[in-house]
Amino acid sequence: MRDEFDLAGRTDEMGRDMELADVLRRLAPEHADPNYWMRFREWVVREAAGELARRRLVAHLTVSDVMSSWARALLPTAALAAALAGIILMRGPEDHLQQMVSVEELLVSDLEGETIPATLGPDTSGPAITFASEIF
Amino acid sequence: MKASEAPEDDDLVRRARKGEELAFSQLVERYQRAAYSVAYSVTGSREDAEDAAQESFLVALQRLDECRNPERFAGWLMTIVRNRSRNLVRRETLRETDQLPSAARSKVPTPDRVAETAELREMLEKALAGLPEVQRQIVLLHDVEGWKHREIAEALELPSGTVRSHLHFARKSLREALGNMPGAPDQERKIQ
Repeated sequence: MRDEFDLAGRTDEMGRDMELADVLRRLAPEHADPNYWMRFREWVVREAAGELARRRLVAHLTVSDVMSSWARALLPTAALAAALAGIILMRGPEDHLQQMVSVEELLVSDLEGETIPATLGPDTSGPAITFASEIF
Repeated sequence: MKASEAPEDDDLVRRARKGEELAFSQLVERYQRAAYSVAYSVTGSREDAEDAAQESFLVALQRLDECRNPERFAGWLMTIVRNRSRNLVRRETLRETDQLPSAARSKVPTPDRVAETAELREMLEKALAGLPEVQRQIVLLHDVEGWKHREIAEALELPSGTVRSHLHFARKSLREALGNMPGAPDQERKIQ
């Protein structure tokens, strides 16, 4: 029968059971492979390279970086919009009316013949046509 | 756990969050053994413990922003290790159920396994396997990795008194189980 478990004389200053620890360390990977932990760490760090790089990229982005990235897309669009608005404002309302007139002209310019019958027009040249019934 | 002049965990965590490889590497170096021990306590297999521990560091890095108390990184990491290890065991159990009975599977021996005395390792593994999971974690973290009661209590989210109690019973059970093992603590004492 084994003696009752006794911590006295078997522990180090941290309270570790050194005898048990010595036995259990035989299960530790480095017991058979001294470079085990180095390879373990190298594998983890290598696999983590992508995530670490992503984090570096995010961490290095400052407020001005974010603003400038916005500006890159925003400024040309804003400049174009401003230019268009300026052109419209500079042309003014008269041009707008002229444009409307010219549009009317365009609408009738290619039509063949008179759009209004000559007999009904207001300033028909030539002899006036009168009807007998109209002469009193 | 760590040397006093070494950077604190919270400092390393903050630097690792910014993608500093050296800081992350230091965290891995500091906790790789503990992570492996906890994973081994859950899986009972060295290969699975290695997989679970390594994966846990990668998961921890991905979720590093969720670590609300960087000064308690160790406890947070060990929670990830335990969960990953349990998931691994669950998956393997399902796989074994679907495929071959465990006894029929042939494992290719690793070089270190060949070099070891198989009988000794088997006895140690068997003795540890006889302990409850929490006792395995505590005895490995305390007696092998040198963690303090308070650190284990934080990492495993247990009262410090419970840790001491588990440690006491774990040691007692191990000594009883290892009693007939060549090179076991009390065996050597008797010889002397």
